[in-house]
Amino acid sequence: MADMSSYQAPADLNRLRTVALGAGGIAFIVWAVGLYLDPEQALLSWLLGFIFWGGIGIGSLGLLILQYLTGGAWGVVIRRIVEAGSRTLPVIVILFVPLAIGVMTHTAYEFTHLPPDDYTIKHRGWFMAPESWVLRSAIYFALFGVMVYLLNKWGGEQDKTTNYEDAERYLGKATAFSGPVMVIYALVVTFSVVDWVMILDPHWFSTMWGLLFVAGWALSCLAFTIALLAYLSERTPMDRVVGRRHFHDLGKLLLALVMVWAYFNFSQFLIIYSGNIPEETGWYITRMSGAWGVIGIMLVLLHFALPYLLLLRQDLKRKAKILATIAIFILVMRLIDMFYLIGPNPRINMHGLEKGAFMLSWMDFVAPVAVGGIWLWYFFGQLMKRPLVPVMDPFLEKAIEHGRGH
Amino acid sequence: MKEDIYGIMAEFDTPTQLVDAANKVREAGYTKTDAFSPFPLHEIDEALGIKRSILPLLVFAGGITGLLSGIALQVFVHYIDYPLNVGGRPYLSWPSFVPPAYELTILLAGFTAVFGMLFLNGLPRPYHPVFNVPRFALATREKFFLVIEAADPKYDHDEVRAFMESLDPQEVFDVPE
Repeated sequence: MADMSSYQAPADLNRLRTVALGAGGIAFIVWAVGLYLDPEQALLSWLLGFIFWGGIGIGSLGLLILQYLTGGAWGVVIRRIVEAGSRTLPVIVILFVPLAIGVMTHTAYEFTHLPPDDYTIKHRGWFMAPESWVLRSAIYFALFGVMVYLLNKWGGEQDKTTNYEDAERYLGKATAFSGPVMVIYALVVTFSVVDWVMILDPHWFSTMWGLLFVAGWALSCLAFTIALLAYLSERTPMDRVVGRRHFHDLGKLLLALVMVWAYFNFSQFLIIYSGNIPEETGWYITRMSGAWGVIGIMLVLLHFALPYLLLLRQDLKRKAKILATIAIFILVMRLIDMFYLIGPNPRINMHGLEKGAFMLSWMDFVAPVAVGGIWLWYFFGQLMKRPLVPVMDPFLEKAIEHGRGH
Repeated sequence: MKEDIYGIMAEFDTPTQLVDAANKVREAGYTKTDAFSPFPLHEIDEALGIKRSILPLLVFAGGITGLLSGIALQVFVHYIDYPLNVGGRPYLSWPSFVPPAYELTILLAGFTAVFGMLFLNGLPRPYHPVFNVPRFALATREKFFLVIEAADPKYDHDEVRAFMESLDPQEVFDVPE
């Protein structure tokens, strides 16, 4: 039987936590100046950081549900990391507050400024009211909250059990809960990203949108988890737990998610290309011209082709450091992908530029650091609250042994 | 060296014994060796010094061939041989070419994986001398076997037999050709 205290998180994390809060705090103050100078740009940059980091947190919930459903050694070794990620939901809600205020005060999001006779306002009615937008977001957070609360409650109670029969009962509960909740999770993510991101261009819509984020956030979260696991695997206690076969398995899943990301994006593109309807194609025409087009091609090559080819190789997936480097590279591409989705949208104040003109503000760099610093600070705090592996899990020993193999 | 002998086989009770023995066999410098186990033993590849298969490279080549032929097929049909105006789109309407090209990539990569695996394993193979040892039938159930072939450059019947005995096996057999 494993000893709980022997799996405590290493003290190094405290230093990371301080660095994160320091960087986040400074960036937040700089961002606040930006908020004063150009509120709409500041809020759009904040949204960029929110969707990226909040996506890792909400994606953690998705991976937590997924690993309960599939089982397997990879899930046991990352469970505590994604659990901690899912428990960042409170800070994600706090980080959402600036956006809620921005919509309520009609500072950001073009739909808050549309004339009442605009056809989207006419047809969608109350759905386009700022109050209803904020209320819907509150419902999404509440639904995510129930999932996070229950899965973490059972995970924590499993640690306190003294025999494997009780431990198995909690695992069974979490697994049974995860099945139907996977469907609800995907639906809530779909609704939330339609509200948070797709509505930036109120006249454009895509039925692929939700899946882009279900897969994209899982990819962000997995890349983040791999990078963190590689860092932890060089320190006690995780050096006793993770082996190269775990990284191999996680690398395979990373490859799969890179492909799913490309698949969903291309599906959306192909459907719109084949449909050839003006109200849909405009979104891509903007994103395929000028500097946006360059970013688009860069995403195809660096978000998909390069990681795809690298991750095909077995030896690269087995080396923790190389896999972590690829994972961090993918994370950077994720941020650029989010910029590509958010940036070109129509704005309330276009600063005299045409709709869809290339705009890159210094706040697009500062806001993700601010959001990320605060999020990471809270995340590491959560990670240190529990042992780094589910100590009482009936499959823990097998999972550790799996990593040692070839 | 006896002409009618395929090699010498040792029988072991546990996978650990087999892997230990295989390590010693490799260290002793034998190269024409093989191990048999009722279930996959990943350690054995390293223990016997079996190199990684070239199959992944073949599959990659198969995939690339599929991709290129998929693109070539569609470009030839839609652009060169019989240009057809579909909804006013350009003849070279590459986004629509992607799904079939992708499917062909998967198809040829899959075929290469299956048939390449069979070919590299020398399958199908209706006869193998190891089955001449009656107890070898247990390799599908609970026993682990190690063979040093007579074709090994270092092979010397009595020496190998003595060496096999020294590995602490359950039993040692001569395998008739």
